[in-house]
Amino acid sequence: MRALRRESDGWLTSAIAILCLIGIAVAGYLTYVHYAGIKVLCISSGGCETVQSSSYAKLAGIPVAVLGLLGYITILILISIRGETARMATCAVAIIGFLFSAYLTYRELFTIKAICQWCVSSAVLMTILAVLTTVRLLRADPSG
Amino acid sequence: MSSRKQQREEARAKRLAEEQARAEQERRQRRLRMLGGIAVGAVAVVAVLIAISSSGGTSSVPTGAQAKKTAASVETLLSGIPQNGTRLGSPNAPVTMYYYGDLECPICKDFSLSSLPQLIQNEVRAGKVQVVYRSLQTATHDPATFSTQQVAALAAGQQQKFWNYTELFYNQQGTEGTNYVTGAYLAALARQIPGLNVSSWSTARNNSALAVQVQQEGQQATAQGFNATPTLIFQGPKGKVQPPDAVPPYSELQAAVKQVG
Repeated sequence: MRALRRESDGWLTSAIAILCLIGIAVAGYLTYVHYAGIKVLCISSGGCETVQSSSYAKLAGIPVAVLGLLGYITILILISIRGETARMATCAVAIIGFLFSAYLTYRELFTIKAICQWCVSSAVLMTILAVLTTVRLLRADPSG
Repeated sequence: MSSRKQQREEARAKRLAEEQARAEQERRQRRLRMLGGIAVGAVAVVAVLIAISSSGGTSSVPTGAQAKKTAASVETLLSGIPQNGTRLGSPNAPVTMYYYGDLECPICKDFSLSSLPQLIQNEVRAGKVQVVYRSLQTATHDPATFSTQQVAALAAGQQQKFWNYTELFYNQQGTEGTNYVTGAYLAALARQIPGLNVSSWSTARNNSALAVQVQQEGQQATAQGFNATPTLIFQGPKGKVQPPDAVPPYSELQAAVKQVG
């Protein structure tokens, strides 16, 4: 039983790691777009540019893409640490990421009225991560 | 004897199993409580993040000391510089900077508050550059709102105060998508401009020629392939040039002036 659990947890941890890596790629791309001199202008297209140029693309001066990048990296580091505290922290970071992504998606749909497919991908990743890290916390082996 | 031993062992195994089950259940309950705690904590953290995220702007024109300070700084920046309609600066200035903008565009606000004042203070004031503003709808979602707000600025332009109005708008721009551009907001901006006859301004806002002008400027911009704001075009005796950055620093503006002037 215990061996089986550990095995399934291993599978969960690998899935979380893979999702984090995809998340790092997506948030990394959005951060690159933000900083690499690619013109961020107001455009009436209603796409990624509109979202990127909106006032919601930054939080207290920090691009939200950078916050996402930090979130994925933090989860990736935390899942490599054993123990209940680390599992709790992983879950907490993922849930915060999920809730903030939900808020940003709401802003895209109802305030900015534009959709950025990269931002939505990140929101989907964070949602899956929140679910997986919660499952991982609840079924964790007490020793690990 | 052996059966009694067996019974004892069975009872022990049962007790152990029960203990284990109880421990398991306690552990599960403890984790659920932990998860509850995490969820509450996460909601609190995100609530703070959302509060920071939505505090970027205001939904009405600020009043009081801050508004007076803003109005005074705009007045200082523009006083003594000739204006005619959407043009700021001497009509004889050799270089013209065309500024395609949307009053609700936050990037236009960045430009208008960062390097544009330096250009106005130096090159425009010295008569080397004139700036011509043109309306191009981008960030404003509703075409009717766009027309109304750009016409409000053009109406101030009929009293040679277009730039005062535009600068005040950018300085006090509200939060995107909050529908802050109302009649009251536009009138409050007009009242902040020293020397503007507000009742004449109100009358001018109904002038259909101004709405047509907004529409035509947008069409001309689209025809030239411009679809973003701010788009800045420097035109002078040596040709036309567009600065490489979306919000060019003052040095880029100077370089563009030099290149075409």
